[in-house]
Amino acid sequence: MLNFFRRSPANFAVNLAESDISFNVERGDSLLSSALGAGVPWPFKCKVGSCGKCKCRLVDGKIKPQLDFGYVLDISEIKQGYILACQSVPKSDITVSVNLNENEMDGK
Amino acid sequence: MKFYVNARYLIVPFMSLIAIVGILFGGSFAWVGVGLFALNTLIDTLTKNIHLAADFDDSGESYGIKKLQYSVMFLMLPVFIALQVVLAYRIFQYNADAPIVINSFLGLSYQAGISGFNLIGATVSSGLWAGLGIIYGHELSHNKKEGFLVSRLIMALSGAAHFTYAHVYNHHLDLGHEDDPATAPRGRNIYTHAWLSHMGQSRFSYILEQQRLRKRGSSALNIDNRWILGYLYSLPSIVLFVWAGGGVGVAALFSVWVIANFLLEALNFMGHYGLIRKDGPVEHRHSWDNDSVFTSWFFIEIGRQCDHHVRGETYFWELDDVEGPNYGIGYFSLFVITLIPPLFRVYVQKHLENWDEKYASAEEKLIAQKFAY
Repeated sequence: MLNFFRRSPANFAVNLAESDISFNVERGDSLLSSALGAGVPWPFKCKVGSCGKCKCRLVDGKIKPQLDFGYVLDISEIKQGYILACQSVPKSDITVSVNLNENEMDGK
Repeated sequence: MKFYVNARYLIVPFMSLIAIVGILFGGSFAWVGVGLFALNTLIDTLTKNIHLAADFDDSGESYGIKKLQYSVMFLMLPVFIALQVVLAYRIFQYNADAPIVINSFLGLSYQAGISGFNLIGATVSSGLWAGLGIIYGHELSHNKKEGFLVSRLIMALSGAAHFTYAHVYNHHLDLGHEDDPATAPRGRNIYTHAWLSHMGQSRFSYILEQQRLRKRGSSALNIDNRWILGYLYSLPSIVLFVWAGGGVGVAALFSVWVIANFLLEALNFMGHYGLIRKDGPVEHRHSWDNDSVFTSWFFIEIGRQCDHHVRGETYFWELDDVEGPNYGIGYFSLFVITLIPPLFRVYVQKHLENWDEKYASAEEKLIAQKFAY
């Protein structure tokens, strides 16, 4: 019962799978903006959930999607746990897998 | 400082309420919304040389109060609904040949019944202020989940619920490219653009939904189709105006939608006219800023397009001058110029020449050469 009234922590930890990189996300902030704020070279392009460049795979933990990922990601990708970092607000400590080498811009 | 930063964005809510009260008072007051629009054009023109930077405290934090600004934006939905209801009320009176007499309510005099002339004033007022719903529909289309639905509902009052999806998934991705219907190529006038941009964005939204549903193995003819759902959101407005005034009601609602959508597309036209993007990410140079002081406050910083398109996730009160292409005047002043295409073409030529010289990449310059100013 008391858990119901307990405030969630102000920060959540984000760990990048298969690397030793980690950073914090302030409650309510997006995964992408926090990563960029922490100096992580996360791939991105539009920041509004339309290009898919910032996609990553949620390995562990919970996020709240801000927009429907279904316009950009395939159903199979969503089933595998792929999310858009710019439209994901962590709701717990999370572990994600992202290819930080995919930062070159492509086409339009 | 906090009060000043937050209160300056309340011009539209305040003036929208005045426009509503004007229609309720009737008589010549039905034209108040039109008069305010003219007054704003004057203020915008007189203050065109005042440009202010965004305000931050010593630690770099914005003075904007998110809960307040979001509450205002959410509360604008019932305000815009009220704008339609009072117009429908006047149409009902006109259609019923209600006698034009002065009545009193709580000591305030108002005119019952309405003349055809003043009904035109009420309709144009409603259209102009409904059109300003775009500034909230736009802001809420970004950022947060709950706001997205409110954005759709606000835009649906103008028959443009498709805008919310088209803006995020088309305009922000394809800006400055021929795949973006909201970017006006050089040589196009505002009247042609309004039609092509509106239809192009609606078409995009339909295809987007078709593809999303196909991924799920569903047909496009589905209540889950958000393009169809968007138009269904407009149904209560249609029912209200048909009930209130039959043919007159339909004509009035059609006029409101035409005016509102024209204003929406005018903002798209002014924000990106003639700018070109070949490859790579959207940069500051792919938008025009209109950030004179009155435009910034009135349009809740929607004129800071250069910053917005690079930091689409940023709240409007945090957007700043990034020294991108800038017309140097406000939206009201520029809007008047765009209404006269030959005048706009002359006006914009020096700005486009400047853009080609200072901002365009080599590839963008090559494309620009194919267009006449």
